[in-house]
Amino acid sequence: MLGKLALAGIKNRRRDYLVLLAGLTMSAAIFYMFANLATNRAFLKTNAVVSQASLIFGFGAILLILITIVYIMYANSFLLSMRQHDYGLFMMLGATRKRIGELVFLETLILGAIATAIGIVLGLLLSQFLVGFLLDMLGLHLAHLSAFYLPAIIATAVLYVGLFILASLFNMVRLTRTTVLKLLHTDEQANQPRVHLFRQMVAAVLGVAFLGIGYWALAAIKTLQMAAIPLALVTITIGTYLLFRATLLVIIQGLRHTKWAKRHLNGFLLGQLNFRVYNYTRMLTIVSLLFAMALGAITVGSGYHRQLPLMANSIGTYTVAIHDKNAQEQKLIDQLNVKHQATYTQKRQGKVVYYNAAELQQQPFELSKSGQLTKSLKHPKFYTESLAKFKKSGVQDFDFQSLAVRKDMGFYTPKILNAKQFAKQPGTTMTVTTVRVKDLVQDQKVLKRLNRMEVKRFALPEQITVGNYQSYEMMSGIFGGLEFMGYFLGIAFLAMLASCLMFKILSGAPGDKQRYRMLYKVGVRQSLMRRGIAKEIGILFLIPGIMGVIDVLFGLQMFKPIMASPMSPYLGIGSIFAIFIGLYAIYYAITLTLYWRIVLPKAPTN
Amino acid sequence: MTTNTVVNVHNLEKTYGKANERQYKALKGLDFTVAAGEFVGIMGASGSGKTTLLNMLSTLDVPTKGDVVVNGHDVTKMRGNQLADFRAQEVGFIFQDFNLLESLTAEENIGLPLALKGTSSRVMDQAIHEVAETLSIADLLQKYPSELSGGQKQRVAAARAIVHHPSILMGDEPTGALDSTSARELLDLLTTINQKQHMSVLLVTHDPFSASFCQRILFIKDGQIGSEIKRGEQDRSAFYQQILNELGTFNE
Repeated sequence: MLGKLALAGIKNRRRDYLVLLAGLTMSAAIFYMFANLATNRAFLKTNAVVSQASLIFGFGAILLILITIVYIMYANSFLLSMRQHDYGLFMMLGATRKRIGELVFLETLILGAIATAIGIVLGLLLSQFLVGFLLDMLGLHLAHLSAFYLPAIIATAVLYVGLFILASLFNMVRLTRTTVLKLLHTDEQANQPRVHLFRQMVAAVLGVAFLGIGYWALAAIKTLQMAAIPLALVTITIGTYLLFRATLLVIIQGLRHTKWAKRHLNGFLLGQLNFRVYNYTRMLTIVSLLFAMALGAITVGSGYHRQLPLMANSIGTYTVAIHDKNAQEQKLIDQLNVKHQATYTQKRQGKVVYYNAAELQQQPFELSKSGQLTKSLKHPKFYTESLAKFKKSGVQDFDFQSLAVRKDMGFYTPKILNAKQFAKQPGTTMTVTTVRVKDLVQDQKVLKRLNRMEVKRFALPEQITVGNYQSYEMMSGIFGGLEFMGYFLGIAFLAMLASCLMFKILSGAPGDKQRYRMLYKVGVRQSLMRRGIAKEIGILFLIPGIMGVIDVLFGLQMFKPIMASPMSPYLGIGSIFAIFIGLYAIYYAITLTLYWRIVLPKAPTN
Repeated sequence: MTTNTVVNVHNLEKTYGKANERQYKALKGLDFTVAAGEFVGIMGASGSGKTTLLNMLSTLDVPTKGDVVVNGHDVTKMRGNQLADFRAQEVGFIFQDFNLLESLTAEENIGLPLALKGTSSRVMDQAIHEVAETLSIADLLQKYPSELSGGQKQRVAAARAIVHHPSILMGDEPTGALDSTSARELLDLLTTINQKQHMSVLLVTHDPFSASFCQRILFIKDGQIGSEIKRGEQDRSAFYQQILNELGTFNE
């Protein structure tokens, strides 16, 4: 009977349950996808070109587990806040605590099990499509990546079901220990925090100090090595917490005494924030960290994505070099947006490759200004030299030498002969056409085909690349894993952080419902209430957002060692920030809409 | 309708339940008026329709049929923002459960109706302090509702109800959650407000003692006005006795 009642209770709030279930399902799906990547040894072995990649994956997995724990904690408190009134009622009607405890345990566990099961299936599907899509979009190829991987399924199931068993036990203990009256009147008494100026000051100073240590640790990752990350995580967490605790209350209470607070609902808004911010300090801290990690990960990922072609562009003076081009290759070349093109005749004999001076005179070989690499990164400067000068130094140019690669590594020694001598010179004759395109990424598809044909016809020794396109392909292979991780973790963190915030805010909704009902009775316009709620939730989203952005700006220092000189973790972060903030804003809009629906009193109808 | 009528209710009906469902008629055609400066009580047993009536008057609910005119505004014809503005400007409320916002101090609670109107903060401060003096709660202004006793809370609620000088003050069992001393103090205050500021007061109650502070009492039974008594020149205790007598026969 009681079971039936409990089921009826769930039916009545199916929309809230759907939100909860959807959030948990997404979380499980994301975890599965990550576990699939992190535990798949075959995949890691083939793709972990960088020795630290498996370490990074492991670190990512631990972070994801921690976040999952926090996430389930908040989801659980949301569940509890929805149900405690019902359970209080059952107890008042005479249900034993033991029976209620069983019900709570079962309900939490069943919900968790369903979420885990759907989540894994969803994770499988998402692995199939999203990962494929992401890789395709990034132009990456990761071998041995399959959607279905049994150890990952087991890991996800064990972790989630384990966590839900813990959550169920927690709920059971919590509910059976609380008095019936408290359960029935859960509209929490708003505790009004007082400001102690001295303590507040100390907390602020300590907070800034801890943040300072954390930011310094990230910047000094070269000397601190792996110790930097845990150190920074701990100090930044404590620092953010103390800083929030110290400053937010003072600001809000300061604002309450201004004239602004006495207009419309501003005073009410500040009053709400006053006790809310205090209760939310811990959660806001966690969310700001998650925000930072998500944004940081995406920034680094996109940094690689955008800067690899840039870097590749600045490596050499031509994108591809085609030997003895055939008609099909010529067709492909015609499709490119060519910036510079030249064809030279080569004669190879022994260890020497001969060039015709007349050809070089007519179409001088392009050189690039190296040295100030960072400056020339965006606009590498190309120039040509007079033939005499080129004969002296230009012959030594790496790009020029690369036009004739020998099978056993190393290059033919280039020699320039005048037209007459060249004509007499015996040797294998072939032509080489160098092409520099305007934008490597734009012509990526054609270049890929062109390069494949060339490599097929003239097999190169390993580790040797000719032309910027090949360098780009090789670098993508090396950094692709990092890039992919960045995007993936970023999206996962963002999804979880926003859901944490959403659940925490939504679990406060029942209390707010009464408050807005009072405002409604007193004669506050709907539009004013709507705006008030939008501001209140907006501020709760904004605080961790701002802190997260600051964290990222400092935290990117950490990636300086692995994004060496021509690349920079800070290059072009504006657009990524904008996209990320856009996604964050969408979450805000969803939370707000849900909140409006729960909290706003409905106008009477006939 | 004369100009000194604050509330004019004509043929008011309220039916709960949709047309195809089982319907329940809570109000069956009420007619009455409240004159400006009058202190009127509405009495009746539980389920007689008192609260339904008050909800209609205060626009928290919509009547099925009939007219309600408050201070010249036909509330049945208002929509959306008009309704909210009407409640904010024309009506002052005192509820049994206080309805104070626990996240705001007493001062901020009292100032809310003025803040909604967009009153300047100087005028607001002045109004708050004036009303706080009247209700002798000046020393409580900086406290939060959780730090106040029931009687103090209700006085703060009363201050919030009259700070913007509404045309009528409505009380829904305002003494219901108070001890007898606090209840008496509050009723004395309502009487003072009624006499000094000439504010009309409409009190819904089932408590004869509270009702004895009114000048006129309407008895509702099963959604209709059963009878009406007036205090006239008699003192309060005599009127109290009259109410008890009326209740004795009314419920038969």
